[in-house]
Amino acid sequence: MAELDVALIGAGGIARTHLPAWTALGARVRIYAPDGHAPGLARDFGATAVGTREEAIAGANVVDVCSPTDTHREIALAALAAGAHVLCEKPLALTTADAELIADTARSARLRLYPGHVVRFFPAYARLHELVAGGAPGRVAVARFTRTGRYPTWSPWFADPERSGGILVDQMIHDFDIARWLFGEVVRVHADQRGHLTSPAPEGAVASGTAVLTHESGVITQVVGVWAPPATPFRTTFHVAGTGGTLSHDSLASPGLRVTGSDRDAAGADGIPSGDFGQSPYALQIAEFAAAFTGRGPEPRVTAGDGVAAVRIAEAAAVSARTGRAVRLEGSPA
Amino acid sequence: MKVAVLSFAHVHAATYLTLLRDREDVDLLAADPDAPPGDPDRGPALAERLGVPYAATWDEVFAQPLDAVVVTSENARHRPLVERAAAAGAHVLCEKPLATTEADARAVIDACARAGVGLMTAYPVRFGSAFAALRRAVADGSLGRLISVHGTNNGRNPARSSPWFGSRELAGGGALMDHTVHIADLLDVLLDGEQAAEVYAQANAVLDADLGLDVETAGLVTICYPGGTVAAVDCSWSHPRDHPTWGGLTLTCVGERAIVELDAFPRLLDGFDTTTARARWEPGGDDLDTAMLDAFLDTARTGRRPAPDGEAGLRSLRVVLAAYESLRTGQPVALPG
Repeated sequence: MAELDVALIGAGGIARTHLPAWTALGARVRIYAPDGHAPGLARDFGATAVGTREEAIAGANVVDVCSPTDTHREIALAALAAGAHVLCEKPLALTTADAELIADTARSARLRLYPGHVVRFFPAYARLHELVAGGAPGRVAVARFTRTGRYPTWSPWFADPERSGGILVDQMIHDFDIARWLFGEVVRVHADQRGHLTSPAPEGAVASGTAVLTHESGVITQVVGVWAPPATPFRTTFHVAGTGGTLSHDSLASPGLRVTGSDRDAAGADGIPSGDFGQSPYALQIAEFAAAFTGRGPEPRVTAGDGVAAVRIAEAAAVSARTGRAVRLEGSPA
Repeated sequence: MKVAVLSFAHVHAATYLTLLRDREDVDLLAADPDAPPGDPDRGPALAERLGVPYAATWDEVFAQPLDAVVVTSENARHRPLVERAAAAGAHVLCEKPLATTEADARAVIDACARAGVGLMTAYPVRFGSAFAALRRAVADGSLGRLISVHGTNNGRNPARSSPWFGSRELAGGGALMDHTVHIADLLDVLLDGEQAAEVYAQANAVLDADLGLDVETAGLVTICYPGGTVAAVDCSWSHPRDHPTWGGLTLTCVGERAIVELDAFPRLLDGFDTTTARARWEPGGDDLDTAMLDAFLDTARTGRRPAPDGEAGLRSLRVVLAAYESLRTGQPVALPG
């Protein structure tokens, strides 16, 4: 058995970012997806497509859950029951209760569970964390984060709040996680969402969400997410202000390499960011998790508890958007 | 045209004095009798430095026949000056926020209406040509329906140079009061005067805590409009004090068909200055204060109703007052429909 024997469940966009990372680490990968896309993906990346989930998981020491969010609970629990460590795409689950169940099951089974909060591995966010942790911006008062990408109409489940949680849960959870990583626990959430919020979402649909997080530390954070018109380039920004000055970033402002005028532009913007042209943040993430899975590396920068806490914030945001009330969060994370 | 600038308390007074002084069509007079004696940046010292005729008392100012006045007193002290100017038959340009309470705002609107003079609230950002293009794009439907707007209005803490900005009594509040109204006014234009339905706000006083102010220095505000647009605003005084600019204002509009980003104070040139060891920041964009004064003096001359008028000033003030109520309750606050 290869040291890393990986069952990858799901054959969508995120699986395509994970596969080269597993391959680079010498992992043996079996892919299962119910949508029939596994064989093509396996061919592209030198993996093996199998016909059932059980077949994929059998003998795996790691299961990489890259399926729609509403299936995470069942697949993660099956993986843990089979004795495999789990990398589960964000959000860990649709509800805090399900996320806690997965995390508790992993803990009881003494298996490792890591949520795919990959933004922690994007260089600007990793550096921001280093700088904030080191006190560079002084005592932080206020921060804002934006995340704009084309509406994910390439797969119908994203637009379905029953399956993805909608923009607040599926997309804005990235920045909820970053804000909590930087500024600590969140005690109050207010959120709102507008635009096309139901499935099916036609090509050209637009939705946006806004949230205000109040941290226990006193920091206040604004998070804005946009699922944008089709020709919108993927872009993230942040601005952090403290007693020692500001830190800001715009992912489109200073590219290491910019290509314009190719036919690709006309074909529409990328839905999933690839990061800069250096090391892929997905590869960095998987290398860090793999080192922990094989017992050879330190604890990764993100834990199962972080995944649960991010779902808790996102769920509170969704409740706030539904009820129109600010939601108080209590209790410590799992 | 005889124009008086009443009080130099607000940081914008010196700008207005300079612009009005240099106009051929304006006979300028200025008064700042409530200034602290000997303050080099207020009163007769500032008037002398700028070369502006100065009156030592309010009575001396109002003894003159005035066509128009610019009121730049502390936020909570607009009302008596506007009422007196209106009674004297002068058109009024009142610094924002129009007042610090709904009652005072209503009183100045009524006073001007009774006297038959125009009342303009000083919101210069809506006079920019880039904003005018945005306004047209919203109005002609090319953006589609506005889904959300994300506005930032960050600046240096003005209380560092003018301490009253840090006084709840005189300023009505801190960064929330000072900056939210600018974004709220731009929304007022884009949404054609639609009154906000609900406001949520969070704030803190982490920045410049050493000044011992009794107001917030950072704030985030979410404003919901009945037509379906939501606005997320960062109104913080979070711009570093030794930055080459005072701050700025941006607006990102997410429409059903396009996303539009406005920078009201764009950077024209950058680079590096070795003598100061700082980044260069040559400002671009329009001269918004000149455009606003042009519009105001035009309404004073013609008697046409100014825009933004007092009602617009009251609508944006209501957003801020609801934001303060939200800070108190920790919950969104509904505005009367």
